[in-house]
This record gives sequence, C-alpha cells and structure tokens, in this order.
Amino acid sequence: MVDFDVTPLGNGRYQVSDGTQQRLAYATGPSASRWVFIDGRTFVVDVTGGTDSKVRRTRDDDMGLASPMPATVASVHVSEGQPVSRGDLLVMLEAMKMELPIKAPRDGRVRKVACAQGELVQPGVPLVELD
Amino acid sequence: MFRRLLIANRGEIAVRIIRACRELGIESVAVYSDADSSAPHRALADRAVRIGPAPAAHSYLSTEAVLRAAKETGAEAIHPGYGFLAENHTFAAACIAGGLIFVGPPPDVIASLGSKIAARHVAARAGIPVVPGETPSDQSEAAIADAARPIGFPVLIKPSAGGGGIGMKAVLDEASLPAAIAQGRREAIAAFGDGTLYVERLIDRPRHVEVQVLLDGHGNAVYLFERECSLQRRHQKIVEEAPSTALTSRLRARMGEAAVALASTAGYRNAGTVEFLLEGTGDEARFYFLEMNTRLQVEHPVTEQTTGVDIVLAQLAVAAGEPLPWSQGELSQRGHAIEVRVYAEDPAQNDLPQAGPLLLYREPMMPGIRVDSGVVEGGEISVHYDPLIAKLIAWGDTRERARRRAVAALRNYPILGVRTNIAFLIALLEHPRFISGDVDTGFVDLERATLVASSADDPPAEAVNVAMAATGIAATGNSAPTNVPDPWTMLRGWRG
Repeated sequence: MVDFDVTPLGNGRYQVSDGTQQRLAYATGPSASRWVFIDGRTFVVDVTGGTDSKVRRTRDDDMGLASPMPATVASVHVSEGQPVSRGDLLVMLEAMKMELPIKAPRDGRVRKVACAQGELVQPGVPLVELD
Repeated sequence: MFRRLLIANRGEIAVRIIRACRELGIESVAVYSDADSSAPHRALADRAVRIGPAPAAHSYLSTEAVLRAAKETGAEAIHPGYGFLAENHTFAAACIAGGLIFVGPPPDVIASLGSKIAARHVAARAGIPVVPGETPSDQSEAAIADAARPIGFPVLIKPSAGGGGIGMKAVLDEASLPAAIAQGRREAIAAFGDGTLYVERLIDRPRHVEVQVLLDGHGNAVYLFERECSLQRRHQKIVEEAPSTALTSRLRARMGEAAVALASTAGYRNAGTVEFLLEGTGDEARFYFLEMNTRLQVEHPVTEQTTGVDIVLAQLAVAAGEPLPWSQGELSQRGHAIEVRVYAEDPAQNDLPQAGPLLLYREPMMPGIRVDSGVVEGGEISVHYDPLIAKLIAWGDTRERARRRAVAALRNYPILGVRTNIAFLIALLEHPRFISGDVDTGFVDLERATLVASSADDPPAEAVNVAMAATGIAATGNSAPTNVPDPWTMLRGWRG
C-alpha cells in the first residue's frame, strides 16, 4: 500500500501527499467516529484501535430495529408474541415531513415492542425486538 | 418602499431575503423557534422575535405567532419565503387584514391556483393544455379508483393542497392503489393539514420544465425563461438548471408566453412559477400545464444567475407598488447555471434524512460559484425541519463549464458531522446521461444504484491516514474543531 504523508494545516485541514501529488483533506470528530472529507467524499472512521482502525458505516442490518434518527412514532403495527415475515411493517416513524417504515429484517416472532404511538424516539434504541 | 420587513421563514431562504433587505436598506425582522435560537437567520437580521417551540405547527406555521411578531416589531410587510405559510391564502389574507403588505400574489389568487381543480380551469381559460386528471369530490378509496380507471394506469396520486413531492405516489396498477391512497393521505395530512388527494395520468419519461414569471400591479408581465427541474428523486428536485437542454428558442417563447397568459388570466401579481411537463424535445415537444407555484421557488437562483435579475428584489419592488423596470424584449438568458441541493441525508440508506452537529462546515469559494445556505460551522441540522443544508449554484458561459465548476466546488465542500448527498451529487453530475443533457424525471431513480455505488465505497488509505492523524475533539456535539496539537498531529507517513 502507498505511504501517505499527512500534514496538519490547522483548523481541521490536512495536506495529504503520496510523495508527488498533494491534496487537501478535512477531518474532525472523536476517535470512535472521526469524520474525514477528501475529494468530495465523506467517511467516518473508527480510529480507537490504532492501526486496526475499522470502517464504521451505519446500515440497516447492524442498526437492528432502531430508529436511524430522532423521530416520532406514527404508528405501531405489531404486538408482542405476533409472528412476522421478512419485510413486514413493524413501526412507522415520522421525521422531517417523511414517513420512515421500520420493517422486519427476517422472519420471526415479536418478543418486545419498546415504543408507543406519538413517542419521540432517539437513534440507536431498539423499537421492536424479534426472537 | 416599506421600511421594515418580517421574514416568516428560516434557513437559507430567510438568510437570502435578509440579504436583499440589507441591499435595499429595509430593516429585517427574523422569527425563530426554540430550535433555531442560535441559527444564522436569527443572528443576521436587524431584529429577531421568538415565535414558539421547535415543532413548526407551533412556530413557523402559526399565523397568530407570526402576526403577533409583526405587530410587536412594527413590520409593514411580510415575506413568507417558500414552504411553511408561503402558499397559505388564509395567512396572506390575515396579513392584509392586519394592515400588512404580503409579499406575494393576492390571497384569492393563491387560493384558486393552490387548488389543482381551479388551477386547471384557469389553464383551460388561458388555452393551455393540461395532463388528464382530477380531484374526486368523493374521496373514498372506491371513488378514487373509479377516477383512476378512465385516466388509465399508471397514475399519480398526490395531495391536492401540496407540493414538493410530499405524499406523491406513483401507482402502477389498481392493486397497489389502496396502500398508496392510505400513505399519501397520511403524509398529506401531516404536511398540509389536508388529506384531499388528486389523481392524474403519469406521462412516460417526461421532463419537468418550469417558467418563472413576474407581474406587477400596473399591468406589466414578463417571463424570465425556464428552469429544467427533471432531476428529482421521489418527485423532489435535487438538481435544477437553466436553460433546459430540451428547448428550442421557439418552444421557449411558446412556453414563456403560455406561462404569462396563465398568470395574467389568474389575476396574478408578484413572482410565480408555472410548472409544465414536457413530452419529447425540439419544436415538436408537447407541454402540459402542471401547476403554478404562487411563491418564490427554491431553485430561483439559476434564473437569477442566467438573467441577471434579482428575483427577491423584484418581489419587494412589486409588493411596494413599483412597476417592473424591464420589458420582455430587454430580458435574455446568458450562459448556463446549475443548482444542486445539498441535503443532510444518506443516499446509502435510501436518502434517509440525517440530523446532527455540523462539526466542520466550509463553503467553497471560487469563480462562478454561489452558495445560498442558512447554517454555520458549530451549528446543527435539526430533526424538526427540512434537511436542506444549502444550495450550490454554478454559472458558466456553457453548460459544460457550469457543470465542471459545480463538480469542482462540491469536491471542495467539506461538511462533517452529518452525512450529506455531496458524493451522490458529484456522481450525478458526472453521469454520461447528465453530461449529454439527456434527462427525464425518472432518471435519478433509474440510475440510483449506480450513483449510490460510486459514492459510497469504503474509505481509501488516504482517508484512513487522515483519520489517524487528525486532531480529535471531544464527543460532545457542538464544539468546533480545535487547533490544539495532540500526539496524532505529529504522525507522518502512517502506513494505511
């Protein structure tokens, strides 16, 4: 892999050089989720592990059944004990004038419904648990 | 000209209007909700009044709160911006009843053009073709299905009261109709407080081309040419440009004259936009009246950059009773302008809106680039409002030059702390079909997978190196990045 020299320019700006070509990058944020902007692309990198730094990219599957953002629960479509199939609508959220459906990622049975209609929910907190 | 203007809006458009006030020597009054107490529009205005809690229904959508603020500050006029109360004829009427100048068309004109049925009658009177469709007077599911059948599937279901693509659903067959009606109605009620639905024929691969018009109170009416707004995702515009690559000068003149005829027939005054669907290209293309937006448009800057007309200044002049200073023959388009809408959203998660702190926010500054924004570094994208961060407008003497400028500017537009659609927009502007100007309203959704894939790779080694070398900040939200060196800044040549 190529070696890159990174020189801080202050105020979140960094110069990245591969020895011949140099580019401007921007970075900030805590080590667990450090934001980087380079060439029009933005990345969030976890650098807490030093050289074993991993990419952290939030996706539906690792978010489980949580809201991806602060939102209001518009309606709850399942109850505890109910069997569900992959793709079934579990909870309808509403945020920023849009409806955000939370759907079952797989077949299963609803173990717990952890939200109620009208409730303001925070990201990362599971709304429904499946067996 | 009035001396004090209240701006009943927030974000980039409030900032845009405050700047116009500065230029004219008008005192600006901002209104803000609790969520916007440190927002730029509040800080920039000459005066600012708190109008309520974060939810828009109790602040930016509250006629009572806005009018109280106007009264308290002695404002003589109100500019509604776009969204919120901008197309609410009751609000416009209440302003006038309260002795204020409403910067926009007369309330009865807003009402008639805001209703899709009445607007189509106006178009028919002006002799302008419309897309087949109707608002069933019986709004039951069965009656809407009855209305959809003679129009022929696929149909489009949309809120009668709305705009901006909210609550709009494409329905391919009758079986999918009930779900689309239910969801469309819920979104219509949530966004506009009115669940009435409109159903119309879906035209295959249409372009969305709109014409900016300006009419004063002295019988003068002009068009400021077209904006091509075909690049939409889920019926919401993300890239707009002027001129349109589909229009010949003859078609442009025909559409411009049709737009002016429609606005004149409606008794319109001030700035407005007549939206058309365009089928085909060249002199043979057919255009259908879609709707008229009775307000300033989000994408008005592409018209400003190509005509040299400041539309907000013109709005204020017309509202103050002045005549338009130019005739149609004095107006022309020069060069090409492209606007991209920078949103806090994640294209990899189906454009899910993102809320969060703007840990780092730096607007590009280069020739031919204009950025209209209402945020600052250290601020926050709130969950309560539209996730639009800014509009970036590139001008060039040719379309290709404007396009390259837009790409170069986006590559130099770091926004950290919330995910944005910047990489997606770059991929869009670099797509061969966009480069050739061959676009229609289905283009973005059709090419979505390709566009997302090219904008969402894993971080390359250089990004990881920068992350390792960067000076961290505390994970406490709003703190701005610091210059305090830490051991990481000493790192050189990290092996990624």
